[in-house]
Amino acid sequence: MSVKVYLVDDHRLFLAGVTAELREEFDIVGSAQDVDQAIEEIRGLLPDVVLVDVHMPDGGGIAVVEGVVSTNPDVKFLALSVSDLAEDVIAMIRAGARGYVTKTIEPADLADAVRRVDAGDAVFSPRLAGFVLDAFAGAMPSDDDPELDQLTSREKDVLRLIARGFAYKQVARKLNISIKTVETHVSSVLRKLQLTNRHELARWASKRRIV
Amino acid sequence: MVAGVAGGLADSLGVSDGFVRAAFVTLTMTAGLGVLLYLGFWLAALDRVADAESEEVSGHQAIGLLLGFSGLMVLLFTLGLWPSNGLVVTVWAISFGTAFLTDRNIPSPLASLLDPSMEGPGRMRTLLGVGLLIGGLAVFAANVGDIFNAGPVILAVALTGVGILVAFGPWVTRLAKDLGSERRERIRQEERAEMAAHLHDSVLQTLALIQRSDDPGRMSMLARHQEGELRDWLFGSTPLEGVDLMSTALRQAAARIEESHQVPIDVVSVGDHPLDEATLPIVGAASEAMVNAAKHSGADRISLYFEAQETRLEVFITDQGKGFDESSSPEGLGIRNSIRKRMENAGGSASIESIPGEGTEVVLTLAVS
Repeated sequence: MSVKVYLVDDHRLFLAGVTAELREEFDIVGSAQDVDQAIEEIRGLLPDVVLVDVHMPDGGGIAVVEGVVSTNPDVKFLALSVSDLAEDVIAMIRAGARGYVTKTIEPADLADAVRRVDAGDAVFSPRLAGFVLDAFAGAMPSDDDPELDQLTSREKDVLRLIARGFAYKQVARKLNISIKTVETHVSSVLRKLQLTNRHELARWASKRRIV
Repeated sequence: MVAGVAGGLADSLGVSDGFVRAAFVTLTMTAGLGVLLYLGFWLAALDRVADAESEEVSGHQAIGLLLGFSGLMVLLFTLGLWPSNGLVVTVWAISFGTAFLTDRNIPSPLASLLDPSMEGPGRMRTLLGVGLLIGGLAVFAANVGDIFNAGPVILAVALTGVGILVAFGPWVTRLAKDLGSERRERIRQEERAEMAAHLHDSVLQTLALIQRSDDPGRMSMLARHQEGELRDWLFGSTPLEGVDLMSTALRQAAARIEESHQVPIDVVSVGDHPLDEATLPIVGAASEAMVNAAKHSGADRISLYFEAQETRLEVFITDQGKGFDESSSPEGLGIRNSIRKRMENAGGSASIESIPGEGTEVVLTLAVS
């Protein structure tokens, strides 16, 4: 059975384009151009993966993620945007999205990302990897959970390679580890990003308006 | 007026500045005391905030101020510092008269006189002011001889000058303020025109080009380039302001090469470093690496990753194109030499790794303090 995908984007043309690209491999169960319709339909249709735009009127993608995750934690989100605002992207991830890719992504890579998110893995585009490295940069003493507030050097290695434009497969080969291990590292970084209460994260995100 | 002392004092006392000025002028006439006081207040008020809110004066306060002023006058009279009744009364009446008329709370004294709909204290004040002025002039006329005997002619000239200043000062200030707001409006319009011009030269031109183009690759390239440029202009440092950060310089170099070679370049940066003579060669070497990748790799996109760490800068230019055999390709050799030489001259290093069929990665490293 093919993966059920739902699309949320306020640009009709973009919806049509993505639908055309993904239709062959996935079951596009529906799409919405506004937040309220999206939340309602996703709750009813229960797709496996929702591709959601970061920037939309009435609260944007983050409102969709927050509105669904609370009632249906099994629905997985992949943020898709032209937006470069680190603040918004990080906010989406922290709300529960499992990855972020830019709209300039190649169709094959987008399909790959959807499969990955459906499998429960995290999807980091080069840009998101850069954001995370930047956000976690610098030594940082922590009062509650140092594990969550620091990236391991292996995780940093993985993120750096992703930021340099390498696919997971190539990252695995360069580091002499399995793809599964790369996925584990990335998922662990995602978890840290979602759970850390590192105060620098918020400050960094608001300071870094554009990338 | 001269140093804003009267206005400032008026603000803190809660009365119209015209009255304070009038008091100063009168005191000056009677022993030069006004000038001394003015200087004193000026020195004391040097660091005072200019735009204090004028407070409503209370009845007690007004009476207190009036008594204080009268007391001073009586003191000066008993001390014998009194040129002549005629002079003092003239100056007092004229200066206070103009104070009533130039009160900033009244938009135009003439209008309030002629317009019967203007009522209340404003009209009262105007009538009072005009009365005082006429009275002052009358006293002056009656005592002409007296005054000229009492003081030198210079005094009279000075008096006239001060009177004119006091009377027209606020009007001139108001005019200057109007000119100021007109200037602000003009600047706003200029900014708008500049924005329109910018959008016309950039976004509108690009949109026109996209409409005329039927090559999807070219269209998306145009859109991409325009997006980056607009973003820079809206949020980042504009090219006009000069490039002063490594990340900005690399981004701009990538945008230029992307446009001229029609290959998308993804730029990701972590941390940042000022762009100076020491770091400029990295941008040059990175540009060369990007151009080479765009020209020879055949890759459909190029990645540039820049990371500024505390002690070193690193730039990775990666493509997944056809690569080259490092030992045999003359092309590869050329790249190596030019990029490597640049970095070595700058005190850094460059390494190039290429695998035929898989792509090329150029790594530039420079130690910084």
